[in-house]
Amino acid sequence: METLQYLLTGFGVALTPTNLMVAAIGAFIGTIVGMLPGLGPINGVAILMPLAFALKLPPETALILLAAVYMGCEYGGRISSILLNVPGDAGAIMTALDGYPMAKKGMGGVALSISAWASFMGSLIATIGIVLFAPLLARWALAFGPAEYFALMCFAFACITGLMGDAPMKAALAAIIGLSLSTIGLDSNSGVYRFTGDNLHLSDGIQFIVVVIGVFSISEILLMLEQHHKSEGIIKETGRALFNLKELALTWWGTVRSAVLGFIVGVLPGAGATIASAMAYSMEKRMAGPDGHFGQGDVRGVAAPEAANNASAAGSFVPMLTLGVPGSGTTAVMVGALSLYNITPGPALFSQNPTLVWGLIASLFVANVMLLCINIPMVGVFTRVLRVPNWALVPGILAVSTVGVFSVHATTFDLMLMSTFGVAGYLLRKQGVPMAPLILGFVLGDMMEQNLRRALSITNGELGILFQSPISKGLWIIAAAMIVVPPLMRMRAGHKVHAVI
Amino acid sequence: MSDRILGAVCVVVGAGMAWAAHGYAAPISYEPVGPRAFPLLMAGLMAGAGAWLVVRPGPHGFGLARDHLKPISFAVVAVFIYAALYEWLGFTLATTVMALPVGMAFGGSWKQSLAAGAGLGLVLFLLFDKLLDVVLPTGVLSFILGGR
Repeated sequence: METLQYLLTGFGVALTPTNLMVAAIGAFIGTIVGMLPGLGPINGVAILMPLAFALKLPPETALILLAAVYMGCEYGGRISSILLNVPGDAGAIMTALDGYPMAKKGMGGVALSISAWASFMGSLIATIGIVLFAPLLARWALAFGPAEYFALMCFAFACITGLMGDAPMKAALAAIIGLSLSTIGLDSNSGVYRFTGDNLHLSDGIQFIVVVIGVFSISEILLMLEQHHKSEGIIKETGRALFNLKELALTWWGTVRSAVLGFIVGVLPGAGATIASAMAYSMEKRMAGPDGHFGQGDVRGVAAPEAANNASAAGSFVPMLTLGVPGSGTTAVMVGALSLYNITPGPALFSQNPTLVWGLIASLFVANVMLLCINIPMVGVFTRVLRVPNWALVPGILAVSTVGVFSVHATTFDLMLMSTFGVAGYLLRKQGVPMAPLILGFVLGDMMEQNLRRALSITNGELGILFQSPISKGLWIIAAAMIVVPPLMRMRAGHKVHAVI
Repeated sequence: MSDRILGAVCVVVGAGMAWAAHGYAAPISYEPVGPRAFPLLMAGLMAGAGAWLVVRPGPHGFGLARDHLKPISFAVVAVFIYAALYEWLGFTLATTVMALPVGMAFGGSWKQSLAAGAGLGLVLFLLFDKLLDVVLPTGVLSFILGGR
């Protein structure tokens, strides 16, 4: 009951004219960013975050903007998947498998509208999930002390490295680099300057924006130079614009199942939209059995991954809001955005700043309705954006990125540092080092060190406290499992493959 | 091979961090864990991860095709020059200068790239500086655009 009251307060925040407008702008920009191959939610949120701050938006409005962009990206990715056979963002890879064949058969309009509907359902179900579970988790997490927090963050890193698949050591390395970068600057407890090299610009630490824009925007531009899209051009003939009731009925339960699955995957730190949509797709394919024609243009193959990737995006807000530990790169950037406002997300946020939390949750509902409304009739507008040539688009992205970086401190030093991070990020990404753990490390670094020091202050340096309480014991055990189990499973799967051969 | 280089760089960086962090000590300490422990821990982990990559490199190669080398180095230089000229030339002119090589690296002709840069520089300046109140440098054009 209490929750319902808070939710109503939240709608009061989300429905103010400013926030409504901001949500609409965010939804629109997000759809475009998600649609453009090469730019995903993390780039969009990273580029817009400093702008939101520079525009002096209040924190809840800034967060609403970023959340709308995040959701919009998950919507937008499907458009280029379906019409170009080039996924617009990583979460839309699976959508291309059936979406593009459908478009080739002249059913592009059906694919676009059913996937917009599935996206809507995914976000809706997951947002209801947030309303139901986030307050419970926050209340439980209030009992966390510094030792539990330290264990929780180690668990988050374990998830992100264990689930990163092919190169866990590189994901771990990325997290270590991020954590190391966060130590640069003045140590607030002791007044010692660390790794500043007597550079005045570094005494305050490296600006979060500089790192994020560098590794996600600048390096992305360099990577884009190498991508050759072997697309056969945009499919113009999209046929019937709306799905019919038969198609709706056929996809209904698959959409709901995929949304629930996506939400659960999204809540887990580390696993994101990509994993969620792949799992949903293969689940639906298996459930359809022989009467499915997955891969050749099955509507269910379009609906399932879209429901899942939207649900996982919404789900990833849960750990960020309740624990203050972001579960994905994109929510890590949002935590960084909040830190610009001196707000530290965590369980206390629900009681101390209910307007922010519930305003955000309510605006997820609002933005979702807006996205459905703009995504079905306005698909034509978006496809026209896809025809903007890169020689005009990329300088624009670069220019907007620098506006964001410059707006914080207005120094050339920050711009130079941004460029350096861009090149370093490019080299690391070329080498297979993922950037999401790096950002997670950079965001969590200070909190992790502070909690470790606080925990050890309690026992005067005795390490045992880190493993003492049942909660931290549990977290350490799952963290260890996260690192040990996936390689073992891969080994077993490998043996099976060998046995078959 | 490139994994080994990355690993070796990490070992060196880790060693450098450890060397730099070694002297970090609080003048007056109230807590058992000072400012040195966490950086040293990270230095150790960094070197450890690097050593792992040296000993067990993945199959992942760097894989940069030769015909990409030129546009990429162009773009890298352009980004740094953009940063350097930003305050001095001002946002509008610096963006025009940056868009020429970057646009051309992405397949535009020099006329197209220059026009795109000038247009972006002016439109974005008006949008952010004049309309949205995000202050941008005007540099040498300050006599027309106002500001510093």
